[in-house]
Amino acid sequence: MSEAATRKTIAGPSPQSRPRKKSALHRLWKQMDVQLMVWPGILLIFVFSYIPMYGVLTAFMDYNIFTAHRIFENPWVGFKHFEAFFDAPNFWQIMRNTVVISLLKFVIGFPAPIILALMLNEVRHMVFKRVVQTITYLPHFMSWVIVGGLVMSLLSADNGSVNILLKGVGAIDEPINFLSIKDYFWTILISTNVWKEIGFSSIVYLAAIAGVDQHMYEAADIDGASKFKQIYLITLPSIMPVIIIFMVLAMGNLLNAGFEDILIIAENPLLRPVADVIDVYVYRIGLQNQKYSFAVAVGLFKAVISVGLLTMANYLARRAGSSLW
Amino acid sequence: MNINIQFLKGVNAMRKRKPLLLIVSAVLLLTTVLAACSNSNTNNSQESPSPSSASATPGNTGGDTKPVSDTWVFGSEPLEFSLYFHYGWVDYKGMDDYPATKWLKENKQLNITPIQANGSHSEKMTTMISGNMLPDVIWGNRFDADIDRLYEAGQLVAFDEYLEKYPNLLKWAGKEKLDLLRSPDGKLYKFPNWYTNSSTNTAGYAINKKIYRELGSPKLETLDDLYAYLVKVKEKYGDQVIPFETDRAEDGQGVAILYTAFKEGALYDSLGKQLLAVPNGDKLTSVFTDPTFRESQKFVNKLYREKLMTQDAFTQTDDMVLEKLMTGRVAVYASANVTDKANKAHLELSKTNPEDGYFVTWPFHKAGLDKNKIHPGGNDRLGWNVAVITKAAKDPEKIFAFLDWYTSPEGMNLQFFGPEGKNWKGFDENGYPIFTEQADPAEIAQIQTDNLDIMLVGNAAYIDPAKISFEKTLPEEKKNWQAKYQSEVTWPSGVDITEYKNLTPPADSELGTTQQHVENLFLQVFAETTQAKSEADIDKILDQAEKDAQSYGYNKLLEWRTEQWQEKRKILGLE
Repeated sequence: MSEAATRKTIAGPSPQSRPRKKSALHRLWKQMDVQLMVWPGILLIFVFSYIPMYGVLTAFMDYNIFTAHRIFENPWVGFKHFEAFFDAPNFWQIMRNTVVISLLKFVIGFPAPIILALMLNEVRHMVFKRVVQTITYLPHFMSWVIVGGLVMSLLSADNGSVNILLKGVGAIDEPINFLSIKDYFWTILISTNVWKEIGFSSIVYLAAIAGVDQHMYEAADIDGASKFKQIYLITLPSIMPVIIIFMVLAMGNLLNAGFEDILIIAENPLLRPVADVIDVYVYRIGLQNQKYSFAVAVGLFKAVISVGLLTMANYLARRAGSSLW
Repeated sequence: MNINIQFLKGVNAMRKRKPLLLIVSAVLLLTTVLAACSNSNTNNSQESPSPSSASATPGNTGGDTKPVSDTWVFGSEPLEFSLYFHYGWVDYKGMDDYPATKWLKENKQLNITPIQANGSHSEKMTTMISGNMLPDVIWGNRFDADIDRLYEAGQLVAFDEYLEKYPNLLKWAGKEKLDLLRSPDGKLYKFPNWYTNSSTNTAGYAINKKIYRELGSPKLETLDDLYAYLVKVKEKYGDQVIPFETDRAEDGQGVAILYTAFKEGALYDSLGKQLLAVPNGDKLTSVFTDPTFRESQKFVNKLYREKLMTQDAFTQTDDMVLEKLMTGRVAVYASANVTDKANKAHLELSKTNPEDGYFVTWPFHKAGLDKNKIHPGGNDRLGWNVAVITKAAKDPEKIFAFLDWYTSPEGMNLQFFGPEGKNWKGFDENGYPIFTEQADPAEIAQIQTDNLDIMLVGNAAYIDPAKISFEKTLPEEKKNWQAKYQSEVTWPSGVDITEYKNLTPPADSELGTTQQHVENLFLQVFAETTQAKSEADIDKILDQAEKDAQSYGYNKLLEWRTEQWQEKRKILGLE
């Protein structure tokens, strides 16, 4: 009797560990609904981002496409493809374009949706607000091919709407061939990007603004703060954590100067000195000409720099008080 | 803080509706998994090489007569294979989409299944190679690096043992042309399209009849005439009309055609990426230092600056060009294939007024030159495309037998004039079809247009004279616009450039890299000089380009090309 009782106590898990173990499984079960949502994502990332990752090794080989996935049959060549990229005649041009275009996109494209969200927040006419919101976020759902076609026909020298308008107003005598002039390209590219994405990106900021405690505005009103002061002193600080998180994420994308947009809008070879960025170059030289190892090497180079930038941004963000990790 | 509270509220709300959420997320998960599965399934069924020949289509074995020898007779048994066009701008759609294949399906037990690139052929080819899902037959550019790569990997079927058994290719193309097509191992893997010894040039200039008439039909022979005419067009029509339409200048087209007007014997292909050189005696020399190129680019630049030519030349798409031509907003149109788009536009414009439309004029020349030595385009005796049979094909011999039949007079007449009976019946003493009383030129033109994309192994050596013999039976006003101007203007003004073709080094060699850099440089310089601010800039740009090109190793490339060129001249017996 007493023996059985002792056994029971011994066999039973110690009171310290049992509840913790149980709660871990239990917690997992209790979160089953949320877990089910996460797993497909993890699975997708694992299958499509981690498993194929061994392919980066081809950057150090002369990859022959007929070997397919048996990549180790290819000869190792060390840094040959990296050197070829660094020695390419337009290497510095490409690097400059990549950095400048992505910086411009960041400096102009990042704050634009925040400003739009702040402006929309002050609109009191609900119907107008909804209409503006819908119209601004629609372009996000169009593919670059459509947007590019639109830009090209708008800016075309032959019967382009912009030229017709400028001529009608009397601003110019002869149509301007906007898409063949280097000086205009960055402006056209960045404004098209902002136009396409501004509405959709502003949604998250609008949501954050909606969460700001209304009492603070009431208090500010009573204290006599102007609208601008309220935005500056209440709205912005309240949504700052969201802004910082998105900024860190955007920094990780810094070297992604864009691909489809540039490929489509910069059709004219004349624009290549200002439009060729790493991704476009990889596409044209690496993929179109089937130099896969070269393309992988350049892509890997870009990824390494991107990781560096992201780490740096996160370090800065951590000092500001909210970081990714 | 506020955001966090909001979020927690949301989570609480979720907890309350747990069963529903659980179901929704389970469905989501399932969908993801199923999507992945179904995707791979469709891929398999679409891309795996289809089982060819006998087993594929059961029943309907019309041919009771088994061939006595081991030569397979096309049509005696069902034949099925898959076909892929290695191009971004055209896909094979299916048997029912072209009159010729429709007839073959109903009468010859043929079934060709399509594999389509849908605009991204490089990517498609990569996927097929790496997934080991090659189509049975690939139709593509003769010089395509992918096709050469397939050869190097031993993925292609050699035709040599079939050549004697199925004699049409050998008979019509001839041994010498097939020798030029042979791969480095001495075997023949490529079935040529549009091979012929006579000119097939279709490059040149088309003039808008209405505008020409309204401007008093001036003489249009020299470049000075052309310039004066363009100025008049601009004065009279302003922005409404493009005086000189160049088509897509990125591909050379109208801009490169003007180059040929400045020197007797100048080659359109000198500005093409496969040559990018100017023949000088027995050497190929730099295009950047070529005085003719400088002169012509200065002329082009003048046209550009004075808004006499397309301002969008380097950005416009094919559709935009066609739209301008179709609406009659072009005064002079120059293109490497002028009889294509101008023909479509002519048919459209002449519908409303038979006096309107376009005519093709004899190529312009710089004053003082012999107009008969100006060649806006060239012809390659080997034609354009090639068809190759891959090792994925179960029965390559039968496929070859079909291609050989398709290139024979019987096959060519089907593609050009429809099946025997309606438009033609029997052959004359020269082997050309005898046209019947009911032969309808409009219907024949339609048949040719509809079949154009499926003319895989065109036998120009046979069909061009046949076309002419048909045109001769027609009264002037019923003559086919395209055939008329091809035989009267573009063919006679072309030049044989077979010797300059395929001078491309392997893409992954050092010369291949040079070629790529020089090619990119040229394209950029071509656009820059066209759109330069002043004439003086052009020399500066080209001098700099020559320096850059030399630093990439352009000279070595030229030496290599010269060597290859001389070898080809020997094969062709030109030495």
